[in-house]
Amino acid sequence: MNLSFAIPLSAPDVNFRLLLPELILSVTGVVVMLVDAFTGRSQRRATATLSLAGLAATAWATLWLWPSAQGADTRAWGGMIVLDPMRLSFTLVFLIVAALTVLISAIWVEWEGLPAGEFHTLLLFATVGMMLMASGNDLVMIFLGLEILSIATYVMAGFRKNDLRSNESSLKYFILGSFSSAFLLYGIALVYGATAHEVSAQPQASGALAQHVILAGTTNISAIAERVNDGLYPPLLFAGAAMLMIGFGFKIASAPFHVWTPDVYEGAPTPVTAFMAAGPKAAGFAAFMRVFLLAFPFVAASGQMRSTGAQLHDAWLGALWILAVLTMTVGNVVALVQTNVKRMLAYSSIAHAGYALVGFVAAGAADSAHQTDAVAAVVFYLLAYAVMNLGAFAVVTLIARSGDRRTDIEDYRGIGFDSPALSLTLSLFLLSLLGVPLTAGFMGKVMVFSQALGEGYKWLVVIGVLNTAISVYYYLGLIVVMFFRERTTEWRAPRIPTTLAVVLVLTVAGVIYLGLFPGRVINAFRAVQPIAVSSLR
Amino acid sequence: MLSALLLQAGMSLTTARTPAGVGGPVSGYWPVMVFFAVAVVFPVLPVVLGRFVRPNLYGEAKMRPYECGIDPTTEAHDRFTVRFYIVAMLFLVFDVETIFLLPWAIIFMGDDFSFTKFALLEMFFFIGILVVGYYYAWRKGALEWA
Repeated sequence: MNLSFAIPLSAPDVNFRLLLPELILSVTGVVVMLVDAFTGRSQRRATATLSLAGLAATAWATLWLWPSAQGADTRAWGGMIVLDPMRLSFTLVFLIVAALTVLISAIWVEWEGLPAGEFHTLLLFATVGMMLMASGNDLVMIFLGLEILSIATYVMAGFRKNDLRSNESSLKYFILGSFSSAFLLYGIALVYGATAHEVSAQPQASGALAQHVILAGTTNISAIAERVNDGLYPPLLFAGAAMLMIGFGFKIASAPFHVWTPDVYEGAPTPVTAFMAAGPKAAGFAAFMRVFLLAFPFVAASGQMRSTGAQLHDAWLGALWILAVLTMTVGNVVALVQTNVKRMLAYSSIAHAGYALVGFVAAGAADSAHQTDAVAAVVFYLLAYAVMNLGAFAVVTLIARSGDRRTDIEDYRGIGFDSPALSLTLSLFLLSLLGVPLTAGFMGKVMVFSQALGEGYKWLVVIGVLNTAISVYYYLGLIVVMFFRERTTEWRAPRIPTTLAVVLVLTVAGVIYLGLFPGRVINAFRAVQPIAVSSLR
Repeated sequence: MLSALLLQAGMSLTTARTPAGVGGPVSGYWPVMVFFAVAVVFPVLPVVLGRFVRPNLYGEAKMRPYECGIDPTTEAHDRFTVRFYIVAMLFLVFDVETIFLLPWAIIFMGDDFSFTKFALLEMFFFIGILVVGYYYAWRKGALEWA
């Protein structure tokens, strides 16, 4: 068997401008790492400031790229990196999550005497991974981004080395995460095989005699979309898509692939939990949506009743519908019986993945004109969720104290009037998570549900609203515990440090702003009106 | 010997079915499948056979953990240094570097030298990042044995 032939090499279209946000953040990560290595233990402030500066510079680069994301075909690096509104809006969400996590973790790092530089480096690299997941237009690129993200997060989950719960969390996350990555990788391999075409390859200069015909598939998302109808092995395509769905389903913590979530979220240090619930979930959605919406779209074939593309589209849309219903229901119902706040918020994060999946289903069913709207609604939902979730976890971090000691719902008993600032902000975030009008959570739900209604998914929306009704019980339950129960043990109101105060102010402002004036943000995400974009710059 | 034989058999099977060399999705994997079957049977068979053949005699001495014939003195759950692990990780980093360098050395000239300059610079960046990682490990004391 002679394997010494290759597809002709083409020069990669190098375009650093398109990769600018990722490049800036990677360089910042390396610099933070070096600062950490070359200064003593007094670098806590330095690395945090440096990370925030890097994140700000990256955000600037993202906004600078925004106008060029419209219209024209903007791909580079051999079609591996794409520039479109979906990527940029997701990137902004990741940057906001990372910046807030740096601020939340400042107090925690100080309490526990942790090596802050390491933590910030890992956080920045995880963010780079998330951004690559959103910008990759190739399954391989998306997988690489996912691994960059995952490996950093595994370490972060086990950052409290002396705590058994943290170790357990890290190990569980690592094992199950690797398992899901394997599913994803197998899916990629199957899709590659299914999209095989005959390619005539140039024989290498010496050795081979004649021109060979070899089979070559593709991992490029746009190329897969072109080949879904005439791949050589359609059944493999279905199997590959199913594997991909399982892999991404793990990452966004959707039922029935959610079992790792509560244990990992409970055991991980609270700021890391906040990050994991908001960032990697959004990154999972970014990759999930890009792969399924753009690689497996509805493609009708001429002369055929049911093309492979159409069948595949039907199949994954149906599976996604079930996934959305299961995720919402399991998340909300199990959250009812939790006694630990972090576990409760973990199940709530599962439920929220379900609501976001409703918007994803709508995006899958929509024609290309409405698809951008539905995608923008999902990104908006994830942004709203990130803001309120990080706010809630900021309060949980402060109340838990060092070592995450007070995370039971019992620990919140009657603190309402002793620490009004903390309990009122936490109540606001809980109401927003519930979806009370005038908050970000409400606007997000309205957007995804209206998109689903627009595509005719009545029952999905009905189930979603019923689930919201279920969630009233546990969100309001915590508020009741805080304000209307007598405290039996001693309570010393914690002093709110500056960084955490900044986080609380920002997240409260975000929740209210997104709840009252969502128009500007959603228009920028939709990127159909350049006026909104230019005003945002 | 056996594997070579199986490979032969598999290959002949494949070529017999698809003379063009462009097989269906499964037929090309015949050798792999045969290997898989052998790999499953090979370890399982002795264990199963052993159950029926061996004598079953249990005594206190036999149930003790085996430690080179000497009576065990400590628990099996002992702590050992993790330095080996760090060294293994460092080795892995540089091993992976070599894995990347090798295909790069083969293709970096391309067909027409069109991206040689880029590939050359890029590899220096790659090595630079690795050096940063090495420096980090060094500064953090990962290379100090004591």
